[in-house]
Amino acid sequence: MIESADNPAPFEPRITAFVCTWCTYAGADLAGTSRLAYPPNVRIVKLPCTGRINPLFILKAFEGGADAVLVSGCHPGDCHYTSGNYHARRRWAMFRKLMDLAGIGEDRLFFSWISAAEGGKFASLIGQVTEQARSAGPFAANPARRQP
Amino acid sequence: MSFVEALRRDAASLLTQGRVRLVLGYRIAGNGRRVPAMATSLAAAEKLVYDEQCKANLAAYLSKPHIARRTPVAIVATPQVVRALVVLAAESQLNGEQVIVLPVSAAGYSGPIDLKSAAAALAKPDRDAGILAKLKELMAMPPAERSKFWAGQFARCTRCYACRANCPACYCRQCIVEKNQPQWISTAARGHGNFAWQMIRAFHTTGRCVECGACEAACPAGIPLMLLNVYLADEAAREFGYEAGLDPAAEPLIG
Repeated sequence: MIESADNPAPFEPRITAFVCTWCTYAGADLAGTSRLAYPPNVRIVKLPCTGRINPLFILKAFEGGADAVLVSGCHPGDCHYTSGNYHARRRWAMFRKLMDLAGIGEDRLFFSWISAAEGGKFASLIGQVTEQARSAGPFAANPARRQP
Repeated sequence: MSFVEALRRDAASLLTQGRVRLVLGYRIAGNGRRVPAMATSLAAAEKLVYDEQCKANLAAYLSKPHIARRTPVAIVATPQVVRALVVLAAESQLNGEQVIVLPVSAAGYSGPIDLKSAAAALAKPDRDAGILAKLKELMAMPPAERSKFWAGQFARCTRCYACRANCPACYCRQCIVEKNQPQWISTAARGHGNFAWQMIRAFHTTGRCVECGACEAACPAGIPLMLLNVYLADEAAREFGYEAGLDPAAEPLIG
């Protein structure tokens, strides 16, 4: 069907995922090589470790118009660098609360642990996050959004 | 003898005995405002005052290199200022042994003690009930309403960075907001730039903020910064049992 004013394209959320290279990215890779389908709404940004993910990255993603942001790394105890994900966990526990207070609620910001062996979990998580972001609708109240 | 006189006498004797090179305190400026005083002479020590209008956190000066050089130093310190000193010492910004505390509080003034003893005497802080009530009210709103509330507050921010200048925890030689390759935070004093700045300012002081209120007192736009600070401190206490600046040996909350 051709899009028009009467027939707008249905809302498709844009989701930015910050993942670590050793676990979640490898999990995403496994989902791909296993031919598991997951929604194409997610843009994956690969980093060496969740400990490398600065809260500024998340603000920047929202500034650029992301409807939701996902952060995912190795399970606690499984970090390639032994403790990066523990640093990340503490940081997120606090940052998530700050974001919630500022108006970026828990339906916009997701955290998860996915190992390199969990391709199926990655595909289903992306499905879930996309569904939640879709039902939350376009992020019109995004306080971090860049203004013209 | 009033406690201000005792404070002046102790400051003067510390200076004359050569135990300190500088006394950080407050004086009354020409317009009646209480301003920070850096007393190096007896005449200056005679002008020191302390009352509830003295809002600046003097520990902020000890994280500034040109003042921190002038140790040993004595500092007029409320319990919150002592906590800020403990945070600075734990973060290797300050040699705690070079600091003599002149402790003041609602109860008055007691004589000079070292930082270690002042830290040992600290009690668990009580959070302002008014701020906690306002936070409860905010958290009961839907996120979009909270977003609107903050947009209204942050719209007044002119990015003067008085909050940063008055904060003992903000001592980076180059603040993230001044880094421009890449530029993470827009320096434009509006919308997304103000939001990102306020979020990062609050987050970078998480687990380090001692809730002295100097940032909010310094804000010329009257933005309720303590709502952000107290919320994070309260959540850190609830989640991790962590209070900034109470235990000199504690690991930082966010490493």
